[in-house]
Amino acid sequence: MTISTSDKPFLTRVKESENDHFMQQSVAKAQDAQWDKRTAAREELGNWEQWRDLGEQIRQHVIKYLPDYLEQFSDNVEKKGGHVFFAQTDEQAVNYIKKIAKEKKAHRIVKSKSMVTTEINLDKALLSLPETSIMETDLAEFILQEDNWDEPTHIVFPTLHKNRDQIQNVFKKLGYSGSNDPEEMAKFARKYLREYFMQADLGITGCNFAIADNGMINLVTNEGNADLTMAIPKTQIVVMGMERIVPSLKEAEVLDNMLSRSAVGQKLTSYCSFSGPQVNGESDGPTDFHVVILDNGRSNALGTDFEPVLQCIRCGACLNVCPIYRHIGGHGYGSIYPGPIGAVLSPVLDGYEKFGDLPFASSLCAACTETCPVRIPLHQLLIKHRKVMMDKLKMDHSFNNVLMKGAGVATSSPILFKIALEGAHMGSAPLSKSKETSVDNLFNYGHIEKAPSIASGWTDVRDLARPPKHSDDFRSWYKKHKKEQQEGVSHD
Amino acid sequence: MTNSNREIFLDKIATKAGRPRHQLKNHPFVPINDLPESTLAGKSQDELLELAQKNSEAVHVTFEKTNRSSLSALLNDFLSAKDINNLILPTCDKWTTFGLSDWENKLVDSAEFWAPESSRTENLAKANAADGAIGFADYLLAESGTITVATTPGQGRGFHFLPTHYLSIIPKSHILSRSRQAMRKYEAAITSGRLTTSNINFITGPSNSGDIEMVLVVGVHGPLDMTYVVVEDL
Repeated sequence: MTISTSDKPFLTRVKESENDHFMQQSVAKAQDAQWDKRTAAREELGNWEQWRDLGEQIRQHVIKYLPDYLEQFSDNVEKKGGHVFFAQTDEQAVNYIKKIAKEKKAHRIVKSKSMVTTEINLDKALLSLPETSIMETDLAEFILQEDNWDEPTHIVFPTLHKNRDQIQNVFKKLGYSGSNDPEEMAKFARKYLREYFMQADLGITGCNFAIADNGMINLVTNEGNADLTMAIPKTQIVVMGMERIVPSLKEAEVLDNMLSRSAVGQKLTSYCSFSGPQVNGESDGPTDFHVVILDNGRSNALGTDFEPVLQCIRCGACLNVCPIYRHIGGHGYGSIYPGPIGAVLSPVLDGYEKFGDLPFASSLCAACTETCPVRIPLHQLLIKHRKVMMDKLKMDHSFNNVLMKGAGVATSSPILFKIALEGAHMGSAPLSKSKETSVDNLFNYGHIEKAPSIASGWTDVRDLARPPKHSDDFRSWYKKHKKEQQEGVSHD
Repeated sequence: MTNSNREIFLDKIATKAGRPRHQLKNHPFVPINDLPESTLAGKSQDELLELAQKNSEAVHVTFEKTNRSSLSALLNDFLSAKDINNLILPTCDKWTTFGLSDWENKLVDSAEFWAPESSRTENLAKANAADGAIGFADYLLAESGTITVATTPGQGRGFHFLPTHYLSIIPKSHILSRSRQAMRKYEAAITSGRLTTSNINFITGPSNSGDIEMVLVVGVHGPLDMTYVVVEDL
């Protein structure tokens, strides 16, 4: 699995991100701009909290009945003449896609932006095929590819960390001789990519939502490259996380509205498409249509407290409100899924050993939970990760654990506690030393310099006074003192 | 290979979830509220037209209103204004409906058509070479300024994305309030067999990107600009 974007330790990544002032300014600017656009789009729609209720309900429902919806979707894709492959791992998915590429003798592959194909490291796997080239056609992904496959920094805005001069330099390597004006550079990319598009023989897309009751896939974009990817090549392969499914076009429409507003503050993005294999009479679109449905660790969340993370619709709104993301950007997280959603999802997909730091990359301010259009309780899941890690990874599960449980029983039982007090002085004799101490205690019975097991936590840093004789301990003194009071004995 | 691994996969996730398979039949999705239906409900076609214009212009669309008799003149103006020399048109029976039969006939020799009898390569090449496209939309969504188009043999997918400039003609009676209403119509048409299509596009203005320093660039892969023409007497 390749959701990791860095081998460096978390704190090193954070330090590097803190020193990237352009990135920090860009993220802050993007967060502030998106705040205004997102808020305006939601307010104009009205009843936003009720829309969130509906979005949450749709996502929870499909996760609850996920096998049934995937079965229905798979049946409907096949009825349309498509093929569905269920991949439990990234390796299975990559091998299937490589097999199709070989069978189709694909030489020029076009891809539209897809987090899940980044997750399975598909680009590099396909480039290993002989005489095969691949082109990321989303403008941002194209820039990252041409910049030596740089890593994305945001789910929706992958090149947020790059300025126009850096992009101009990337394009110069491709023959660009214009200015650093974004519009001029975008036009260059349009022409460059269009020539490649027209020769493409295999198209690979992600999937925002799969429509269970008709076998279509729904893609939500702004540039139009995904639609060209679905129109021009004869073969299309769709790669989708297994949770990206909805019952029908109606629920897709609801979520497209919520996704567009939450991701970019638009009522709908420029292109929302619902698509499948070519039907009789049509001349473009894929004649060979494949869907790869991927688990790759997602099922780790099923039936656990982390199941709500599968509700995610990848809008990135949680990144856009997060104060931690504002400071460390996407690269600080070291996962292709950054921000609050990444801090919850990455350990689910790939474990605590790699991503155990991420749940602590949070102020727990709950802004992420507040903005999530499908009501994922993100900050609560971050706390839950911490608890799980503390229980599973940090808690001492050796014999000490048994001793602690024994201590718990003894201290909660008056009889056992009393017996323990009475025996403490005698029991500690073998460990005690009676050499002179720097402080005179009222009862100096010696001290313990090296206690075993759970008590070693104390003696590692200081001596432990030996328990007094039972006749001299506090309880005995107190009992004697009360008795004397009642009998009127004065100590004056 | 298809589905050879499906049962293993689905059984595994059902086991992990601790929920048996095949329960959906007794638990269909029932929405918690009717917001998709009730939002912007009850508006007249005039109100929807006004809203559609406002929201289309907000997404950088040139919005024109005309009637059947003036439509051809407006299209000629569009061709002149954009300096379009390589036009592509759809093959369909709507020309008569919109009173454009004569206008279309005059262009038969000079314009290209997305033709059902042409190959993939031919149709895509024509659309790619076109600096302008004039097509017909199924619906216009007032809330978002979105046109919707289902792919047909005479108006393919590439028709909407490859040309440089794009004009879409929509009857006023086909303005809907929101995407929900369009979805209901498409679902009904597909279920009844009136519509056979592999693809439905919801298009909201020209293509755009904010990938370079978050600066909005209009026109990336798809058309550089969009014009909607609403025919008020249809």
